[in-house]
Amino acid sequence: MLENYLPILIFMAVGLIMGAVVMAIGYLLGPQRPDSEKGSAYECGFEAFEDARMKFDVRYYLVAILFIIFDLEIAFLFPWAVVLGEIGLFALGAMAIFLLILVVGFIYEWKKGALEWE
Amino acid sequence: MGIEKFLFYFFAAILLVAATLVITVRNPVRAALSLVLAFFASAALWMLLEAEFLALVLVLVYVGAVMVLFLFVVMMIDIDLAQVKEGFSRMLPAGIAVAVGLVVVMAVVVGPEHFGLEGFGEVPRHGADYNNTRELGMALFTTFVYPFELAALILLVAIVAAIALTLRRRPGTRHQNPAEQVAVNAAERVRVVKMAAEPRDDAPVPTAEPGESKEEPR
Amino acid sequence: MNLPGTQDYLAALPEIVVATLACIVLLIDLWSNDRERLLTWLATQFTLLVGIVLIIVQLSTDVTYAFAGTYVKDILSDVLKLFIFIGAGVAFLYMREYLRIHNEMKGEYFTLGLFAVLGMMVLASASHMITLYLGLELLSLSLYALVAMRRDSAQSAEAAMKYFMLGAIASGMLLYGMSMIYGATGSLDLREVADAVAQARSDDLILIFGLVFIVAGIAFKLGAVPFHMWAPDVYQGAPTAVTLFLATVPKLAAFAMLMRLLVDGLGPLHDQWQGMLIILAVLSMAIGNLVAIAQENIRRMLAYSTISHVGFLLLGVLSGTDQGYAAALFYTVVYMIMGLGAFGVLVMLGRAGFEADRLSDIKGLNQRSPWLAGVMLVMMFSMAGVPPFLGFWAKFAVLQEVVAVGLVWLAVAAVVFSIIGAFYYLRIVKLIYFDEAEEQAPIRGSSPMRVMVSSNGLVVLLFGLFPAPLLGICIAVFTRIELVIG
Repeated sequence: MLENYLPILIFMAVGLIMGAVVMAIGYLLGPQRPDSEKGSAYECGFEAFEDARMKFDVRYYLVAILFIIFDLEIAFLFPWAVVLGEIGLFALGAMAIFLLILVVGFIYEWKKGALEWE
Repeated sequence: MGIEKFLFYFFAAILLVAATLVITVRNPVRAALSLVLAFFASAALWMLLEAEFLALVLVLVYVGAVMVLFLFVVMMIDIDLAQVKEGFSRMLPAGIAVAVGLVVVMAVVVGPEHFGLEGFGEVPRHGADYNNTRELGMALFTTFVYPFELAALILLVAIVAAIALTLRRRPGTRHQNPAEQVAVNAAERVRVVKMAAEPRDDAPVPTAEPGESKEEPR
Repeated sequence: MNLPGTQDYLAALPEIVVATLACIVLLIDLWSNDRERLLTWLATQFTLLVGIVLIIVQLSTDVTYAFAGTYVKDILSDVLKLFIFIGAGVAFLYMREYLRIHNEMKGEYFTLGLFAVLGMMVLASASHMITLYLGLELLSLSLYALVAMRRDSAQSAEAAMKYFMLGAIASGMLLYGMSMIYGATGSLDLREVADAVAQARSDDLILIFGLVFIVAGIAFKLGAVPFHMWAPDVYQGAPTAVTLFLATVPKLAAFAMLMRLLVDGLGPLHDQWQGMLIILAVLSMAIGNLVAIAQENIRRMLAYSTISHVGFLLLGVLSGTDQGYAAALFYTVVYMIMGLGAFGVLVMLGRAGFEADRLSDIKGLNQRSPWLAGVMLVMMFSMAGVPPFLGFWAKFAVLQEVVAVGLVWLAVAAVVFSIIGAFYYLRIVKLIYFDEAEEQAPIRGSSPMRVMVSSNGLVVLLFGLFPAPLLGICIAVFTRIELVIG
């Protein structure tokens, strides 16, 4: 089975080597004359006004976690789709119940207004 | 077998280094990115175990989604690094002692000789047509269908908990209601207000009170 | 291909129905505009009632395995579920009163509570480590959310954070232990694990290693010393209504987890886990009782009291006999009843925005409400193990079994720690009866609340005078005597 993934391994190796080589060439061939002004932060010609890190609204978090939950749900659909033909109706019913439970969650989400940004 | 073993040690080494970086680097964003690398390396290890579906899900769900959430959280809270580091050196000796003790015990116990592996024989290697996703599906939708539905309930509780704990209605935010906008008619749009003629400012002050003069904003 | 059939669904009917109704309650709550959430609450109680009926209809001593051995229905699971339903019903009644007093009514308290009940049911009839773990997670996740429900309170958030972090570590330990057991036995099915363990060498290091992690994981969930650090903060930080729920009913689930993992699965390793449980039990009784004396906060004191009760519970289990398990089950049920009563009184003492949880808040309770003072007196005497209250019989039953297996020194230690522990229970009684009231606010409370708290006290008193029926049920569970209820 693993031989199927050999191209991906080669791809990863090539990617790593290419990245390393390009960075190494830049490092070796480029002139390096460091200067304190060159190294300082630059923002439209001014000193930086504030920290680059800013606080995110907690609502991003809510959207992200809801996304993950449904992402996980989708992950279950892949093996299901593969074996549906073999198991038949029972698998269909099992997944229907699974999705139904999550639809309850979706209705909850919708009705509570978690999908609205305001 | 040689190349597989080499790959195992290669990815295992990356995993160990990345996992160590997660807990030692000072910058939380770098820690989160090291965790991404650790997830990648463990996905590669799972792939070597022929658990291809789980390996891909690990990359898709954890690297793709969970880590984004982690980065959100890291960005969301203003971490005061000095405060985090406080108590680190005080706890360090105890932490190292516990860690060393655990490693020694595990080195003694978790060796192949204790697992009784001879009872299971060599793990068969599957051919190129082996479908791990199918095997997983067959187990999940026949033997483990009860735990499978329980997983849905856990996800449901996660939805409810996330919303109940983080959703806040802000007072005073304005938003559109398209249904109302569409359903509006001319009579509701404009209100014609009858009012007495206003005297000019420079005219002498009249004795009569002006009628309805203010229009309510809609 | 072995697909589940009708008999599988019939065996798991209580879980299926409760899960369905829990989803419906969630939807009902969405569309109800009632500020009091009466409909949600009634639907929750109705769900529990349906559960009780389903269990009683199917009550039998037969052991049925369903869903390819991931689910087991036996008399232990049935009886545990019955007690879980009853305890949760009482807890939800107190919870509603609390939420009304404090003006924090939210439907999620009941829906999440219902999902926690479902998690406990799954734990009670788990015969496969995967089912067991999922049930535990369902229960824990609901409880974490419940603890954090008071979103704007820093104390509550801190409690939830600690609970969540330590709970996650405990889950990790449990999983690690399970994976070790899987490595040693080649199975996660508890029956197959038991068979494989019985044939393995008793000094199989991998098994012992896995066992240590599993015991540590369970001890975390139970709150046994030295894995108890979360309990005081969580009990104090969570809203009292949540504390009273998570301090009482889930202990039954934790008992189920002990029985399923250690007895059903790793029973042949009894000699090994007995030693570990002895350490946990002695430490829990010692630390729990000693530290409780120093507490000024009643909820914190009750947390340490719970830790010491967990020590007693472990005494029953570590004896390794059917009578010992029965005594432990009896102890757990009795503890649940006493805990519900004590927290119920605390709920009644609270006012909007004020938690009556300092020792000074209950001073002179007798002058303010003699009846409530009487209930609290019964609870405290019972927890201290004063005859003839229910708590005495629970302690007595456990000690009897410990002596029966020859661990006399352990029984003596338990008695000594109980006597030390009696001090802080009796201090509360002294505060109630012999001190002047500092707080003069009248004690109100809806009539269902009054009735329930009173009957809670009466149950402790009556079962204390006639412990035979309750003890009989617990013994019947383990001796497989045909059980007839009603």
